[in-house]
Amino acid sequence: MIVSVLFIIFVGLGGGITVGAGFVAFLTVMGIIPRLMQLTKTMRFVQAYEAAVILGAVCGGWETLHMNHLYLTKWIAVPVGLLAGLFVGMLAAALTEVLNVLPILAKRIGLRSKIIILLMAIVIGKIAGSLFHWLYFIDHS
Amino acid sequence: MERRIFIRLRHRVLAHPGDIITVGDAAQIEGQLQLKKKLSAMPLYQVSEKDKNIVILDIIQVLRAIHLQDPTIDVQTVGGAETIVEIQYRKRNLSTVLFIGVWLLLFIGSCLAIMNFHEDVSMRDVHIALYEIITGERNDYPYLLQIPYSIGLGLGMIVFFNHIFKKRLNEEPSPLEVEMFNYQLDLDQYVAMHENQETIKDLHDR
Repeated sequence: MIVSVLFIIFVGLGGGITVGAGFVAFLTVMGIIPRLMQLTKTMRFVQAYEAAVILGAVCGGWETLHMNHLYLTKWIAVPVGLLAGLFVGMLAAALTEVLNVLPILAKRIGLRSKIIILLMAIVIGKIAGSLFHWLYFIDHS
Repeated sequence: MERRIFIRLRHRVLAHPGDIITVGDAAQIEGQLQLKKKLSAMPLYQVSEKDKNIVILDIIQVLRAIHLQDPTIDVQTVGGAETIVEIQYRKRNLSTVLFIGVWLLLFIGSCLAIMNFHEDVSMRDVHIALYEIITGERNDYPYLLQIPYSIGLGLGMIVFFNHIFKKRLNEEPSPLEVEMFNYQLDLDQYVAMHENQETIKDLHDR
């Protein structure tokens, strides 16, 4: 009995460490936190930001497993949604950048001066696609 | 001592077909004034129609040209070993149709990509669960969460790339600009090595 409990604890801890390390590695490769610090010039708060990411991951992980209800007003959902979107948007932008799509595109077809407008195509496309998905697509799929 | 001259090849020179590139075009020169003037005007390379887009001028070519004129000059080289001459034919005018095509491609592509991503990670289920955690009631259409989320998606990309149309959020270069610079630098390095006849030698080719 005790052995199996200890083993389960060991397995759970091992799984958590692996997923957590993977998550942090992914964030590091994407370079979102350095980017935000560079924009806001708050390099000295690195450790607070690390804590924010870790706390967020732990809370999110706990909530997906246990679903505690907070019984707050539904308007809290607005800033939460906005911030969640910002984060996913930054991830998507970082991914586009890692894949080196835009520099190659700009060079190939000589669109260097219009690169901002092309960037806007991706941004507006993301917003439109996302809204279309929530407002129409899920009811018709 | 007065015969010593310092020379530093420029990284990139833009030229038109038929131009004659002088040593002064291809390099920065420092030394005794008269010698400097004489060398600056010395022709180095004639751009002809059969050169394609890029010609590489090696430092050895420049030295050879200078020493052919006056072997007693002591040339000290500083910096890079080759300069890239980019030959510009008539300025390529981008057709509007092509541009709109690319724009639509990116627009539709990112629409589809974000929808696939949402389906892939069950974003809807997560949103419904998150809404339930916050308010305590179940709502299968948590628009209050999803519409700000969608707008935030676009804002996040803008923050990352540091650009709202022409206006930038702060004066630092955006990662996109750095990335484009690095890409150009890689291309330059490639052509500098591969288009340069001086650096490749095949010993078996006799």
